[in-house]
Amino acid sequence: MTPTLGLIGLPLITSPLVYFAGRVNRRHAAWSRGLALLSLLIAWVFFAQAAQDFSLNGTLETTIGMIVLRIDGISLLLTAVVLTLATVVTIYSARYMAGEMGEEKYYALLIAMSGAMIGLACAADLFNLWVWFELMTIASFLLVAFYCQRRTALEAGVKYLVQSAIGSVLVLLGIALIFAQTGTLRLDELALAGESLALLGAGALFVIGFGVKIALVPLHTWLPDAHTQAPSGISAMLSGVVIETGLIALLRVVGALAGIAESWGVLLLAFGAINMLFGNLMALRQKQVKRLLAFSSLSHVGYMLLGFGIAFYAGEINGAAGGFFHLLTHGLMKGLAFLAAGALLYGLHLAHERHDPLTVGDLAGAARRYPLAALTLSLAVLGLGGLPPLAGFMSKWQIFAAGFQTQDTLVMLLVIFAALNSVLSLAYYAPLVNRMYRDHPSNVVQQGKPIPFSMQVSLIVLAVMVLAIGLLPSLVNWLTEPAGASLMMVLGR
Amino acid sequence: MEFLPLLIGSVAFAVFAVRAVRLLHAALWLAGVSILISLMLYRLGAWEIAIIELSVGAGLVTVLFVFAIAVIGDEAVSVRSLTPKSLAAALTAAVLILLCLFLFPLPVEENPTVQVETTFAVSFWQDRVLDALLQVMLIFAGVLGVMGLLDDPKPRVAASSAAQAENTAPHDEESIADSHLEEERV
Amino acid sequence: MTETLLLIGILALFGVGLYGMMILHNFIKLVIALQILTKTAVLAFVIAGEMNGQIQLGQSLALTVIVADTMVAVVGLALAVQVRRHFGTLDIRALSTLKR
Repeated sequence: MTPTLGLIGLPLITSPLVYFAGRVNRRHAAWSRGLALLSLLIAWVFFAQAAQDFSLNGTLETTIGMIVLRIDGISLLLTAVVLTLATVVTIYSARYMAGEMGEEKYYALLIAMSGAMIGLACAADLFNLWVWFELMTIASFLLVAFYCQRRTALEAGVKYLVQSAIGSVLVLLGIALIFAQTGTLRLDELALAGESLALLGAGALFVIGFGVKIALVPLHTWLPDAHTQAPSGISAMLSGVVIETGLIALLRVVGALAGIAESWGVLLLAFGAINMLFGNLMALRQKQVKRLLAFSSLSHVGYMLLGFGIAFYAGEINGAAGGFFHLLTHGLMKGLAFLAAGALLYGLHLAHERHDPLTVGDLAGAARRYPLAALTLSLAVLGLGGLPPLAGFMSKWQIFAAGFQTQDTLVMLLVIFAALNSVLSLAYYAPLVNRMYRDHPSNVVQQGKPIPFSMQVSLIVLAVMVLAIGLLPSLVNWLTEPAGASLMMVLGR
Repeated sequence: MEFLPLLIGSVAFAVFAVRAVRLLHAALWLAGVSILISLMLYRLGAWEIAIIELSVGAGLVTVLFVFAIAVIGDEAVSVRSLTPKSLAAALTAAVLILLCLFLFPLPVEENPTVQVETTFAVSFWQDRVLDALLQVMLIFAGVLGVMGLLDDPKPRVAASSAAQAENTAPHDEESIADSHLEEERV
Repeated sequence: MTETLLLIGILALFGVGLYGMMILHNFIKLVIALQILTKTAVLAFVIAGEMNGQIQLGQSLALTVIVADTMVAVVGLALAVQVRRHFGTLDIRALSTLKR
């Protein structure tokens, strides 16, 4: 079995098994949890194999019928982030989701969703890419509305379903347009198709269709609700990889239409600027921790778009590598932030069988009662705010440096704008830290229950990664540079 | 030209489905759209797709709609609109005009030069076998989603009738909490 | 000629679906409008196959589209049942506790 097939096939085969393992005996949700973890660990082995093959032989191609699956730098990077977060979230959910109704469905869909994202990262066929995208979306519907006995979760689910479905139809029409015009679905052949009005229209449909999933600003309204109402592990997945997977899908298809790369670059830069500013301004107004983090995802998508926009617009490879680096660090930091906030939510509310949201006020003095969760949450938000020497600083720095390398006035102005936004974001990250360390413990905190060991382990793992990448950013060069190079190759520059 | 009545019919049925006041009628009009589209597909030579559209689109989906409507009870829907109708119409028109611009430069040939000789079975089960396998996963994920959404909490609360009586109290609490939240967010 | 006619038909159906998505506020009717939209995509793939000579390929893609979008509709209906159970209505204007 080639590593490509293993990497893609394994989660899809184990997902039903995970479900049935949990159904065999109602009390044994632990079986499905264990099986989910096991399948992720085996996927890591396949990943290591694929990474090694890639470093020796370059891009790996597998052809099934006429559908090509290709592992290049971009697929490896996204797969690494997906597997990291999925593994950590599975460990984390062991206690967080314990005793919830339908626990086995949770793990089965989590594995199916991760598998779909890995498959999407490898898809080199336009229509096949959509099928993976749709699988990811359908698997995530129940995960978003998992607490379906609660009105707020249902509301989030409805918004998510309607908007995703419209986006998906637009993507389909774009694919049909391309198929009618060029007669091919292979992304690499599309790149040779030249320019035409139909392809431009298809690109526009893709930007809107995938834009719903990426949460480009006028299309973002599902995001804050879904991220807030989903179980915390799923919030981490949604914010850390699902929206980024949409971004990768967009880069792949728009990259293939890159006869007109420069104008797509301008579009990406424009959306990036709007996302950064809007996300920050909305996050400033939030009183709930998870909602605040959700809006900050908007602005971080903005930074990634800035990096990729620089690559499209000016052909600067460091912009692409920086964008992918930020995708990686944002996945880790935002995952950590949601999991740490979820741990506090668990200790303060869920363990008391309450379903209140975690507000910023609840955090007061949390550092005394929950030193680990407070420390990791602080690391995560300060990293997101771009303070050195944390991971977020390094990735933002690479994007900004790439912007200045272009020597293009528009790009340099945007980089300054992004840097100002980064400072602005500290205005809502810093008070969180301040609350936890300076204030006296509130009543809620004093009555809080302890955080289980498995949750603490997953927080430590991610926190160590955020710190390590911050101190030694070259640790992940083997992932980000090939990813950047792959994007530039797609763009033909 | 043989498609003209089918096209006009399906668009008309779609309009009826959108405008219908009762949900059940809307679902039935949708089934009508589906039947006309499967006829169109049949006339186009896509027999397999026509059959599947007929059985899944007009059959299965309609049954599920009727079933869901029966479970939740039909309600008369006011057709008053969420966005101003003129705005919605203008936006739709704008999108359509844009799409026309992109669509009509397409090479419309009666007899395309490349004719790939293959059958539907080969195309679907060999060339696109990965899509076919992924359909199984799509169905699995969808079915899990439905089961998860329709699961009812039995064991915890419904232990005794006393607990049943209490069951209304948390509900009120929830709505109070909701309104409280709303105040907080303003 | 036939193709042009069919393309116009697709556009008209798409317009009806899109208009419906914008003005409707009953969740089940939104799912119905969504189904109208996806049917245009099915037709679009079959016609695209006719237009570029890869008839069978276009049909294979259309089949996958039918299956995927049916699953979305089914999950949507399940969601509708729960919404009705917990909100007492299907009107999405009632679902606004999370606004802002």
